[in-house]
Amino acid sequence: MSDARTRVEVLAEIGHINLRGDPGRGAFREIAERVLGQPLPITPNTVSEGGHRVCWLGPDEWSVVTAAGDAGVLLEQLQTALAGEHAAVNDLSGGLAVVRISGADSRRLFARGCTLDFHPDKFVPGSCAQAGLAKASVLFIHTGGRDVFDLVVRRSFLDYMVRWLRHAGAELDIEFH
Amino acid sequence: MQINRLSQGGRIDRSKPLGFRFNGKRYQGFAGDTLASALLANGVLLVSRSFKLHRPRGIVAAGSDEPNAIVQVGSGASTIPNLRATEVELYDGLKARSTKGWPGLRFDIAALNDRFSPLLGAGFYYKTFMRPKAFWKHYERFIRASAGFGAAPQRTDPDRYEHCNAHCDVLVAGAGPAGLMAALVAARSGARVIVADEQNEFGGALLSASATIDGQPAPDWVATVVAELSGYEDVTVLPRSTVFGYHDHNFLTLAERCTDHIGERVQGVRQRLWRVRAKQVVLAQGAFERPLVFCNNDRPGVMTASAVSTYIRRYAVCPGKRAVVFTNNDSAYETALDLRASGATVIVIDSRSGGAGALGAAVRKEGITVLAAHVVTDVTGRRKVAGVRVAQWSGDVTARVENTIRIDCDLLAVSGGWSPAVHLHSHSGGKNVWEESLHCFVPGETAQACVSAGSGNGKWALDACLRDGRDAGAAVASRCGFEAAEVPLPSASDTAVNEMQPLWRVPAVKDPDRCPKQFVDYQNDTSVADIRLAVREGYRNVEHVKRYTALGFGTDQGKLGNINGMAILAECLDEDIKDVGTTTFRPAYTPVTFGVGAGENVGELLDPVRKTAIHEWHEQHGAPFEVVGQWHRPWYFPRGDEDLHAAVARECLATRNSVGIMDASTLGKIDAQGPDVVEFLERIYTHNVGKMKVGRCAYGIMLGEDGMVMDDGVMARLAENRFYLTTTTGGAAPVLAWLETWLQTEWPELEVYLTSLTETYSTIAVAGPNSRRVLQNAGCSIDLERESFPFMSVRSANLAGIPVQLFRVSFSGELAFEVNIDSRYAEQMWRLLMQAGQEFDITPYGTETMHVLRAEKGFVIVGQDTDGSVTPVDLGMNWMLSKDKDYLGKRSLARKDCLREDRKQLVGLLSEDGKTVLPEGTQLVDDTGAPIPVPMCGHVTSSYFSACLGHPIALALVAGGRARRDETTFAAMQDGTRVPVRIVSSVFYDAKGERQNV
Amino acid sequence: MLLIKCPWCGERAETEFSYGGEAGITRPRDPDALSDAEWADYLFNRTNPRGAHEELWNHAHGCRRWFGAERDTVSYVIARTYKLGS
Repeated sequence: MSDARTRVEVLAEIGHINLRGDPGRGAFREIAERVLGQPLPITPNTVSEGGHRVCWLGPDEWSVVTAAGDAGVLLEQLQTALAGEHAAVNDLSGGLAVVRISGADSRRLFARGCTLDFHPDKFVPGSCAQAGLAKASVLFIHTGGRDVFDLVVRRSFLDYMVRWLRHAGAELDIEFH
Repeated sequence: MQINRLSQGGRIDRSKPLGFRFNGKRYQGFAGDTLASALLANGVLLVSRSFKLHRPRGIVAAGSDEPNAIVQVGSGASTIPNLRATEVELYDGLKARSTKGWPGLRFDIAALNDRFSPLLGAGFYYKTFMRPKAFWKHYERFIRASAGFGAAPQRTDPDRYEHCNAHCDVLVAGAGPAGLMAALVAARSGARVIVADEQNEFGGALLSASATIDGQPAPDWVATVVAELSGYEDVTVLPRSTVFGYHDHNFLTLAERCTDHIGERVQGVRQRLWRVRAKQVVLAQGAFERPLVFCNNDRPGVMTASAVSTYIRRYAVCPGKRAVVFTNNDSAYETALDLRASGATVIVIDSRSGGAGALGAAVRKEGITVLAAHVVTDVTGRRKVAGVRVAQWSGDVTARVENTIRIDCDLLAVSGGWSPAVHLHSHSGGKNVWEESLHCFVPGETAQACVSAGSGNGKWALDACLRDGRDAGAAVASRCGFEAAEVPLPSASDTAVNEMQPLWRVPAVKDPDRCPKQFVDYQNDTSVADIRLAVREGYRNVEHVKRYTALGFGTDQGKLGNINGMAILAECLDEDIKDVGTTTFRPAYTPVTFGVGAGENVGELLDPVRKTAIHEWHEQHGAPFEVVGQWHRPWYFPRGDEDLHAAVARECLATRNSVGIMDASTLGKIDAQGPDVVEFLERIYTHNVGKMKVGRCAYGIMLGEDGMVMDDGVMARLAENRFYLTTTTGGAAPVLAWLETWLQTEWPELEVYLTSLTETYSTIAVAGPNSRRVLQNAGCSIDLERESFPFMSVRSANLAGIPVQLFRVSFSGELAFEVNIDSRYAEQMWRLLMQAGQEFDITPYGTETMHVLRAEKGFVIVGQDTDGSVTPVDLGMNWMLSKDKDYLGKRSLARKDCLREDRKQLVGLLSEDGKTVLPEGTQLVDDTGAPIPVPMCGHVTSSYFSACLGHPIALALVAGGRARRDETTFAAMQDGTRVPVRIVSSVFYDAKGERQNV
Repeated sequence: MLLIKCPWCGERAETEFSYGGEAGITRPRDPDALSDAEWADYLFNRTNPRGAHEELWNHAHGCRRWFGAERDTVSYVIARTYKLGS
């Protein structure tokens, strides 16, 4: 059972590695999966959970969400291993923030500002989706926990996003941390 | 005194009296009342003045079709204008007033318009106020003052509004018998359902029906169904919610009124906009009763029959004691029975020779007189109905009739038959078709995934509505992929088919153009004579007639009058109604507030505020912010009580003489890599990218295919196949999208990946002769001297142990470095550099100083000195244009128009008086004596006072400007004066570029 | 507001997309070989049909992919969307 109250908190120390490559060409996919130690999600808008959380962003783009301390090493490992492939690896940790929203009212909160369908039968555990929330572009991740979602937000929008969440959540049972 | 209140019945709570004010006078009603029912209970008949003729008007209807009782509710900033009193739920302390009538309702000066009404026919405004043209400015004030309805609030709305997105399998619009059945079937089938109704309670017409369903009173059946629906997790029940728009791809908008029924300034969200995407839609909005068209049919006390029944049965208000019911169909006989049951005397005038069938017998059994084959031709009384004149009628519309009877009465209930509410069907793109057997337009072929049901689909009898709703629910459920639940049809007591005789206008005793007005559209004062006049003047298309006569405009959008109007038009044109057709109904179904449209997108949430990683430091140091796109950038850093000019002068001098520091983090940054990256960038940028050595930077510009400058920035070659591109602040997102567009759509064979780094890295510019020493002080890990780190190159380094990318580039013309650093450490780095620069009095500067410094050097800002019509040649950047390759926009530069010598070109301007700072945007003229319109030869794009030079400088685009060096032209100032200015080079400072290259 | 099916992400609201105009406008291989009129034709002239229209859309707030769509300019019905090159 989840808490009755919905929590909003900004998570610290999260790393984000952006990975681009064509999974259908060369050894890219095999090398990436070997270094990551888990599959690359090929189905759009899905997440692969393992040592890291790998989110599908596009047919040739993924976001590897991991502990901030591991990002540097992972970046190097991927860059080195993929040196012979057409691929791009960037550490975007400095530019992204994660807002964790958990609890029963999370989906109602998202519906205030996002046109995605967050019905539990539609946005299921293991889903992710890039979309507009209010006037910012974000990445929604269903973390797998009951009603636990991570919002990946560009850092310059973080202040606005939190402000908007507070406003939109004013009628809901939400606590901010 | 609630003189018209019945002692029992109705859905009001007599134990909860509510006080309210209307036009300043105190009244009392009960919980459950609308403002309209409470006014009628108090015997208030006169509620407004009409739009054009200012005739006294009363309440006509009981729902959203009300054309007359338009009121302003509340006061001050939270007031709402133009509400229908029939839809305003009463609360204690409610204040409302009429939106028409000055100085007062009973004595309205503009009512003189009515006396002169023969002059105020259709097209009056067009004909009168267009000539003479010069007089329009006088007319306009008068027309504006007398036009419109309520008054908009003058202050900021204090209430909360919000938006909410929703998805469902089935949206049901309207919760009357058909809508409820459809929702029930869909819900039992397992569908996600949203069911919305504009009224405070579900049930629609059932709330005031005498019929029984499954042997119980209709409202009890409604309560059972609503209870079941509310129990489903995936069913959303929305009362007080108007589906006001049916847009493309089954997207519908609903306005939910959350607190308006409680009072003003209530805690919480006042109204909510639902943006619903539905797989299937059931339109069950019901039908509107049509009035009948006869002389003076607008007198207070003339109401639709169904409205009278609603007031009696739902609100326990009988609006008259001596009633006449005038009808051309069966349904009004129910009203006669309701009136009799309420103690009123009733006479029924039926235009049909045979009268009504079973209902007729029931009415006669009650001892009610029925005059068949008679019509009401005229109404006596001015501020309220005093009586009616009645004539015998054979059924021939063209026949002249003679009044034979006069009946005194205080209430006239009329019924001209029913029109399905086809509005949403019309919004959705569906056509409406004339159904000859029903004498109304019904929803025709659908354009989207929807079904109409119930009386909105031309089904009049209750059992037919229930069946139609059930079938619609089953159809949409199965279309959504559910197995439709078997729901038994409830048995309804009302199974009668409503028989009607078409009667679009009652024949008058006089010529229809000379008789007292026969109103078709109450709200717009459109009469039969107006439609006839429009046809005589040559209007034939229904949409043109609508615009000429105003038929169907206003807050009610023709809900009552349109069909009568179309039929009368058809008669005038001697055409069939089906050929004349209807006007197109468009959103909104009923007016919605600006507040619900805006939602939370007001104030600080109107536009996102983007902040750099160093924002907090800037705030702490008192910087005002300049909004650039959505970014808030520090504008300048005042010391003490410095103003903008003093601060900028100090910041400029400090930077030129020692060292300044600026947050340039908002620049767009893109990582571009891949085996084909050089080839790709060659096609994008105008210069020779391939000639760049690893570790070097270059200034690059990109053009649109039209040859105009689109964006610029410094690019660095980090490795053989890897570049770091920068864009302008505003260009960050569009440039990335532009590059991706070419890669994905035109050149998919090129192996290049692009990744935005705008947010990842922050950029700190350190500029000025002491900048190198500041970096050295900060513990820079690499040699910063010119020989090993020349101008326009890039190095990876550590500053105070933190890894950075150092760019030796300059936007000020001084020796300068740009420190690119992971945004998480940017503020720390900023503080370190401030510390390291202390001995040089390092001076933080903002966007204004940056602008001055770059303008002194003649560096352009794309979007300020360019405007989408400027080529690189216009900017004097021919040296940037490679002749050895093709690039986007190159071909356009060879178009004839781009080769004109009199194109506007970038130049510098100096005010000849040495002190006037020209406002940016100032137009330039050569001939100060030229007559208006004065030919312009250019305009000022950038203008500042240069503290370093001690005089103002400006950049301008001047026609053929480069060939006009040292000529004088004139700046046309706003006050009409002309300031002489000299055309000079656009580079004002260090023309040889020596200072940045040390 | 249109409902547009991104070939990768599925049905999303129109606000997530940006419009790219008519599909199939190919950049001339050798622009210098074109007359001003021919270049202007590539640059500015579009068919703007009434009815079926092949056009480009970009899932700007989602996967950032461009894709093709066949949309009716009268009814706005989108008959199909497809990945470019397929």
